[in-house]
Amino acid sequence: MLLAHQMALESPYVQAEMVEAMEFPELANRHRVSGVPQTTINDGAGTAVGAVPESYLVEEIRKALKIKAS
Amino acid sequence: MTEKLLDENIVNQVREVFDQLGQPVEVLYFGRETGCEYCDDTLQLAEEVVAISDKLSLRKYDIDEDAALALEYNIDKVPGLVFAGRDGEQVLDYGVRMAGIPSGHEFSSLIHDLLLVSSRDSGLSQETRQFLKEIQEPVLLQVFITPT
Repeated sequence: MLLAHQMALESPYVQAEMVEAMEFPELANRHRVSGVPQTTINDGAGTAVGAVPESYLVEEIRKALKIKAS
Repeated sequence: MTEKLLDENIVNQVREVFDQLGQPVEVLYFGRETGCEYCDDTLQLAEEVVAISDKLSLRKYDIDEDAALALEYNIDKVPGLVFAGRDGEQVLDYGVRMAGIPSGHEFSSLIHDLLLVSSRDSGLSQETRQFLKEIQEPVLLQVFITPT
């Protein structure tokens, strides 16, 4: 199950796009995709490499949006 | 007649998994007439998958001819797929998308996406759901994958 897609379903503000890196090499290069899956937040405001746990991706989004921990 | 991309064995397996489908899902396909290497195969794959269950349907669009709609769904790459809910005539956009052909390992992602949207339940932890409620600005997550 793709975590980003779960988040998109949950929140009306979140959109999640799975990108086949080989088909879109320019975009993948721009985001310096090294390992897959790699999740880019808001066009580079944050990033998470690998199949990260839910809590990890939450923290990365929090940091990228500069939302303080509640 | 074009040769099928999915053999009978796969179709039967997928049909079994699709027993879990709940609410209707609308797949929106965006392609381009020329210069799109994987558009035809992606469309054919989507057509074969939605044909397996009557809870699934497909609408075909062209990113250039239907540019306004592409913009509405934030589609800027082809082939592009949107997995939306359907409620009667209404299409419910959840922001769940794919760019590129969902073949190989990603075929299972396609099936999982259909099940996810059909369930209308993210299945996320309470903590994550709570965090997502705090978000009041657009967030775009792009997940890069490779087919193998």
